[in-house]
Order: sequence, then C-alpha cells, then structure tokens
Amino acid sequence: MVLDNQSIIHLAGYIGGGLAMGLGAIGAAIGEGYTAASANEAVSRNTDLSGDIFKNMLVGQAVAESASIFALVIAILLLFMDLGNANLAKAAALMSAGLCMGLGAMGSGVGSGFPGGQACLGIMRQPQLTGRLTTSMLIGSAVCQTPAIFAMVVALMLMFIDFSTGPVHPMAAALLGAGFSTGLAAIGSGVGGGLAAGASCQGISRQPETVGNVTTIMLVGQAVSQTPSIFGLLVSFILMFKSFPASTSLSASAALLAAGLCMGFGGIGPGVGNGMAAEAAVKWMARNVKYGAELMRTMLVGQAVSQSTAIYAMVVSLVLIFVI
Amino acid sequence: MDKLGQVHQLIIPIGSYNAAINLEVVVMTWIVIFVLLLFGFLAARKKKLLPGPLQIVGELIVGSLYQLTEDALDKELAQKYFPMVSALFLFLLISNWLGIIPHLHEPTQDLNTPLSLGIMGFVISHYVGIKTKGFKKYASEYFQPMFFMMPLNLIGELSRIVSISFRLFGNIMGGSIIILVVSHLTYSILLPPFLNAFFGLFVGTIQAFVFTMLTVVYISVQAK
Repeated sequence: MVLDNQSIIHLAGYIGGGLAMGLGAIGAAIGEGYTAASANEAVSRNTDLSGDIFKNMLVGQAVAESASIFALVIAILLLFMDLGNANLAKAAALMSAGLCMGLGAMGSGVGSGFPGGQACLGIMRQPQLTGRLTTSMLIGSAVCQTPAIFAMVVALMLMFIDFSTGPVHPMAAALLGAGFSTGLAAIGSGVGGGLAAGASCQGISRQPETVGNVTTIMLVGQAVSQTPSIFGLLVSFILMFKSFPASTSLSASAALLAAGLCMGFGGIGPGVGNGMAAEAAVKWMARNVKYGAELMRTMLVGQAVSQSTAIYAMVVSLVLIFVI
Repeated sequence: MDKLGQVHQLIIPIGSYNAAINLEVVVMTWIVIFVLLLFGFLAARKKKLLPGPLQIVGELIVGSLYQLTEDALDKELAQKYFPMVSALFLFLLISNWLGIIPHLHEPTQDLNTPLSLGIMGFVISHYVGIKTKGFKKYASEYFQPMFFMMPLNLIGELSRIVSISFRLFGNIMGGSIIILVVSHLTYSILLPPFLNAFFGLFVGTIQAFVFTMLTVVYISVQAK
C-alpha cells in the first residue's frame, strides 16, 4: 500500500465526510424527538386540535432538521468534490471541515427542537394563537441555527480556500484547530439559543399581549448566548488566516491545535449557561412585563458574568497563538 | 470561487505605514447613506396630519423604535440618544439588505464597518456611565467584587466590542459565503433567491435589530 499525498488527501476527505454526517445526525434527532414528545402530550390533553398540533410538529421538526441538512451538504461535498493534488495541509483542512460541521450541527439541532415542542404545548393551551405561535417558533429556531451556520461557513472556507501557500508544518495543525474551535464552541450556543426560543413560545401562549417584549428579549438573549460561538469563530479565523513561520518542532503545531481545542471546549458551558439565563428572563418577561427593563439588565449582567469563562478560554487560546 | 476572502484595496503609503482603503465598502456605504437620505427627505417632505404612504412608514419605524428605546432607557436618556439609535438601526438595516441586489455588497460584510460601529456604541455607553454616576463610582465598579479582578473585568468589557461586532460580521459574511458557494455549485439554479431571502432579509433584519438593541441595553447597564 502506497500512501502518497493524493491518497492521504482522499482519505482525509472521506473521514471528514463520515464525521460530518455521523456527528451531525446526533443533535437534530434529539431535538426532533423532543418536539414529537411534546406534541404527543399536547394531543393527549386536547384531542380536538390534533390536526393543528400535528401540522405544527411537522413544521417544527423540519426546521430543527436544517442543522443536519447542512451536515449532509458538507458530507456530500467532501465525498464527491474534486480534491486535486495539493499538499498535506489540504488533508488537515478537509478532515477539519468535516469535524467542524459535524460538531457544530449538534447544539443547534438539539436547541431548535425546544421551540417546536413548546409551540405544540402552546397551541394546546391557546388554540386561537396557532398562527402567532408558529411564527414565533420559526423565528426562534431560525435564529438558533446561527452557530450551525458559523460552523458551515468555517467548513466551506476550509474546503475551498487554497492553503497550499503556507508551510505545511504548523499550518496543518492550525487548520485542524480552526475546525475544533468553531465546531465545539457551537454546541453550547446552539442549545442555549434553543432554551430561550422555547421559553418565548411558552410565554406567548401564556400572555399573548406581551408578544413584542418577549420576542425582543428572546432575540437579545439568543444573541448573547451565541457569543461563545462567535469567540470560536474569531479564533478559527485567526488560525486560518494568520501566516505562521515554518517550523519543524512539534510544539508549535501542538500550541495551535491546543488553541482551537481550548476555545472550543471553553465555549460549550458558557453557551448553555447564557441560554439558561435567557430562558428564565424570557419566561418571567411574559409573566411580569412591567419590570421588563430590570429583567433585561439582570439577564445581560448575569450572562456577562457566566461568559467570563469563555473569555478566559479565548485569552488562553490567543496566548497560545500569538505568544508561544 | 477564487474570490473567497479577497477585497479590492486602495493602499496609500503614509511614512512607513500603509493606509488600506477598501474601495467597494466605501462605495456601498455611500449608497446606503444616499438611500437613507432620500427616504428621510421623501418621508418628511410634505408633513401632513393625514400622512402619505412614505410618511406612515417613517412614523411607524421611528415610533416603534422610540418605544423600544424608552422601555430600556429612562425618558431623559431616551430622548437624548434616540436619534443615534434610530440612525444606527436604519443604517444597518439598509446595509444588510443591500446584498440582495446583484453586484452590490453589504458594507457590514467587511469587519471594519461593524467594528467601528461597535466601538462607537462602547464609547457612548461608557461616556453615559461616567456622566450619570461620576468618574469615581464608575471606576470603582472595575474593582468589584475584589480589587485583583480589575484586569479580568477590563477584558470582559473589551470583549463586548468583539462579540457585538463579530456577531454582525459573522452572520452577514457567513451568509454571503454560503450564497456564493451554493450558487456556484448549483449553477445559480433555483436556490439562490431563497438563500438571499433568508440571509439578506430575515437574518439581516434580525441582526440589525439585535445590534441596535444591544447598544441600547449596554447604555442602560452603564447608566444604572
């Protein structure tokens, strides 16, 4: 068996494609299952509305599946793309693209199941709000997809930008790190954004007249929950576009890979935590709209504190990139 | 596909430094400014008690934005900073929508635009903080809960600029990259209009709103 550059690149592309779809299938399935479970509960409590609830469940599941469909697109591209005959950095880039998309689809898949489930339960409580709840569900779960979209952008850039100009040695590790950084950091933010969106569907079904305030605080809360994945994106961009000096020592490569892993893992917890803060704020905004400004401020300050761990991770990975 | 990640630049050497000007972004920003001025002029040209269609649209946007600003800030601060909030939202909205017209690009697709707007919001919010609380109380907040937390609080504040500007930049640039790649792969058949509607109109509107609301809320956090 001869392992020349071209066969290594093909090998990396196939592994990347497999990882993209395999990992990408995890999250969306859980999210859709949650939606279906809530729909079952809703139908059994209010059987007259089974048609509306069933329709809403299918729409919600279709949106929740989009993260998985992104992964499918990337996997098919990796399997059938003309890979060409570049240097070994290309192999790292292809595998990293698959990892990034697969990991990045997990969180958004789980998260976008929550608004679907809560919308089904909401229709059960307030049948006359069906249209408004479906709209709110669609907005919430579309914004939930942002971390998965970031992962897809990084995957596409890894696949289509020509990295063969730089030195292979630290570059290959940097590209692998770039995939881990955005992919892992997207998990927490996706779940967190979903928690906030679910709470907004629940809140609207309890207090329909607060729909404007609830939607505003949901969007702000989701946006702040996405901050860890934005830090991940930032670290990925630096890893992809900074030109590193050629080096034969292993420690330079290890530092760059570690930078990506550090930001990726460091972003998971803050994303979920921020989502919890946003979920509670959205829920209580619906019940107590009079103190909306205070709720918004408390939510933001609390999220800023829970985000500090993501900031520490970013500081450490920037030190790993620029200092070491 | 080779265009991915490339920009047209005008490079002016000043001493030993090079000042790079992204020409496309400048032109696109001018277009946005011109569209906004035209809309403002047409909407306010014939102000009547029975408003014309453009006046209604203008009043609707300005009225609902003012309500949102007043909910977050006090009445006094809201009246002072509302023109900035309104200009920021409308500028970002038209900027994000510009990309759906062929051959035009969103100015927000270039990091310089969101970053400068983010720094502007940051400076304004801290100015408001110093003005309402006084410098001593403002500065002492950095030493909470313990004095050695100061560097970490400082980094936390600065990271807000990063998060607010990269959120807008990542969404808009990500959308344009996905549209570019998918259009290339499908030979621009069927899919691009839907992608443009989602990333340009929907995501663009939401991100403009989120950027504006976060700027307002950062001001309100500093003021209290």
